[in-house]
Amino acid sequence: MGRYAPSVLTRLLPRLLAAVAVGAVVSAGCAPVGQESDTGSGGPAARSGGATPTERPANVGEPADSASVREGGELTIALSAEPDLLDPTLARSLVGRYVFNATCEKLYDTNAEAEIVPQLATALPEVSEDGKTVTIKVRTGIKFGDGTPFNAAAVKRSLERHLKLPASARVSELGPITRIDAPDDETVVIHLSAPFAPLTAALADRAGMVMSPAALDRLGDKFATAPVCVGAFKVVRRVPQNSIELEKDPNYYDADKVYLDRVVFRIITDASIRAANVRSGDVQVADSVSTQDVSALEREPNITLLESESLGYQGVTFNVGNVDGVTQPPKPIDKPHAQDARVRRAFDYALDREALVKSVFNGIYSVACSPISPASPFSTDEAQECTPHDPERAKELLREAGVKTPYRIEMLVTNTPDALRIAQALQAMVKPSGFELVLQPTEFATLLDQQDRGDFELLQLGWSGRVDPDANITNFVGTQASQNVAGFSDPELDDLLTQARQSTDQAERARLYGQVATKIREEAPLIYLYRQRNLTAVSNDVKGVQVFPDGVLRVARAGFAK
Amino acid sequence: MARYLLHRLWHSVVTLVLATIVVFLGMRALPGDPALALAGEQRDPASLAAIREKYGLDDPLPVQYWQFLAHSVRGDLGTSIRTDLPVAQMIATALPVTLELSFLSLLVAALIGIASGVAAAVRRGRITEWIANICALAGLSIPNFWLGLVAILYLAVAVRLFPASGYVAFREDPLSNLHHMVLPAFVIGTGLAAVIMRQTRSSMLEALSTDYVRTARAKGLPPHTVIIRHALRNSLIVVVTIVGLQLGALISGAVVTERIFGLPGFGKLTIDSVFQRDYPVIQAVVLVTATAYIVINLLVDLLYSVIDPRIRIRGREPA
Repeated sequence: MGRYAPSVLTRLLPRLLAAVAVGAVVSAGCAPVGQESDTGSGGPAARSGGATPTERPANVGEPADSASVREGGELTIALSAEPDLLDPTLARSLVGRYVFNATCEKLYDTNAEAEIVPQLATALPEVSEDGKTVTIKVRTGIKFGDGTPFNAAAVKRSLERHLKLPASARVSELGPITRIDAPDDETVVIHLSAPFAPLTAALADRAGMVMSPAALDRLGDKFATAPVCVGAFKVVRRVPQNSIELEKDPNYYDADKVYLDRVVFRIITDASIRAANVRSGDVQVADSVSTQDVSALEREPNITLLESESLGYQGVTFNVGNVDGVTQPPKPIDKPHAQDARVRRAFDYALDREALVKSVFNGIYSVACSPISPASPFSTDEAQECTPHDPERAKELLREAGVKTPYRIEMLVTNTPDALRIAQALQAMVKPSGFELVLQPTEFATLLDQQDRGDFELLQLGWSGRVDPDANITNFVGTQASQNVAGFSDPELDDLLTQARQSTDQAERARLYGQVATKIREEAPLIYLYRQRNLTAVSNDVKGVQVFPDGVLRVARAGFAK
Repeated sequence: MARYLLHRLWHSVVTLVLATIVVFLGMRALPGDPALALAGEQRDPASLAAIREKYGLDDPLPVQYWQFLAHSVRGDLGTSIRTDLPVAQMIATALPVTLELSFLSLLVAALIGIASGVAAAVRRGRITEWIANICALAGLSIPNFWLGLVAILYLAVAVRLFPASGYVAFREDPLSNLHHMVLPAFVIGTGLAAVIMRQTRSSMLEALSTDYVRTARAKGLPPHTVIIRHALRNSLIVVVTIVGLQLGALISGAVVTERIFGLPGFGKLTIDSVFQRDYPVIQAVVLVTATAYIVINLLVDLLYSVIDPRIRIRGREPA
């Protein structure tokens, strides 16, 4: 028996047991981050202490160079969920983006500061005066993994596929595009019917990935079976529910900066088992580390924890008008929390977010009061304003609204340990202010169904976050937007969102999003609770693994330490 | 015998069809559908509709069921909605993992269970029986997942004797494959061993008190011959039945154990596809499982006649 076996047992076992016993099985790639297999035993009261959120420094990882790493080797990564189709047009899962990061480059990328930088493009897009024409210069003289030359025509073809393929997940991300031209090999011109500022950020995600035209000719809508892009690695094998194997791509334009021979993603859905694997040395990298495993991993001398603030959020959504289903015109609901913003404001005042993240997540996650992450370049003081914890004010508002207390409200939550712990903490927290929160733990796919049909009063879910604020807000609170499950509609807010989407001036957009945040806080169809951190455990044998605020694991330029 | 077989086969077909209908309707009664589960965070109505159309989820239920039945009869199990791979191929990669795991677990269970059962019966009332009983009780009471986690923590994380999880195909690297399989096989095997031990012990006790054993002893046969050739052989009929019935435990044990050890087997495939509402995969999985159950029950019945000639002789008599 190892010298630290007993302490390992006492530390880890209860949590491992809780994880499996409760059956943290749902780990679909599409599950909102943190709704997954985080583990936990005991109630919030069982934990205390921990640093306050602001004290935890970010660590996005250092880039590697040929002086610090050697050539060759196989990197094994424990992945928290199975990626869905490896087709940039159809892909929807967050973990799929980790694989794409090594295999499929985009017109633009995100850097450590969550800013957009060129990748396959050579400069940021030039936007015409009226905002309706976007010109992008792209690299020349480089090749796809199958040797096909990369050019503007290939970009045009991929973009058109994103727009036209049925079941494409990219259509709404790309905005009101009317036509795409490729006048020469290095120029792509996108014509829009209205200005659309989030376009650049969309092109820094899957919508900006360029697929090999030869592979598209050969595979059509089965591109995912043998994907070929411009990338440091290419996919050589995929075993369903088990692994995805990549091999270094000799055709890659920057191949001399790629050190590893092979990268293997192994799917290990349970957070505790992922942590156990990185500690046993079976894998070198584990994504989505549970806050419960952080202290044990921090004590390991050979493991570094990468962490950065997520661009997403977790929150609660009230059903204020979703009667006929999401995207249908809102209808009045005869409940005080749907009719009267004061009831929802009261709920906001009843929340002690600091205590919540401290007790449930050891203070590793941070509080969220708006959809704008402080890590975003669009963050402003107004966007970070927060409703204080004030039970007296909450009671007062409920009195003003004329509701009888305790005000009973049912909350839909996913039946994972993490979500349940948050829900129980909320339940206890809002009680003194006059709310009786009744929890309805529900399996994930069922919950999605119920929320889309409007069959709920209150629900707790989150969003993994995108670089452009529009993608984190409009879909959720814009009138009849695709994910506005609250059935919320406010012409003033819609107007602000449209202005922000059409403005090309970042400072102006940031100002407008501040107003948006205030408006959402006043109406409170969606109350933001906390913001996760992207936590990744990396063995010190490996250098160059990075995770930026976009949450995407970057291993393409990593290598084994010399 | 032939008539008996025909009769059993007819029953099997009816059972199979009923099983597929129950699962077909049951899955569709669950809230949510594959399109929702697949779309996850990005649920715009247009792409949901496109997914539903692509996989025929909009068709009336009888049409969908008929499609499934007509295709499966021709050996076409459809395409997974989640991975876009042929379901037959997914099952073909998952099944060997679970079969190997089940075989190794059974092996572990039979070796431990029969040996300790015999020992407990022969050395009745002595310390051996006590130890065997306590171990059996522990084996029955300790849940698979707990044992699996303890095994990972001690034998993989702390002393690094075995890999914490993962799978390597046997034909790629037989040694590494077995190395990965040892812990899971023991985890499932020990639970099953307890059942076998208790069954072996009680039927051995019964056999040891029979007249033919007394006669064998009186004839002066050596004790091990009496125990193994006379008492054990007769006791094994019940044991084989129990092992057959434990197949369910083996599969449900595999579901949990495969998850803990990250084995891409049949159990994990089943669970994942239920949560993903991957209808074609679930239907195929049930079809395969139901077929396996029926075939194994049939085999167990046939095995009786091998172990006990009396059953074979009776089978020949006119009904």
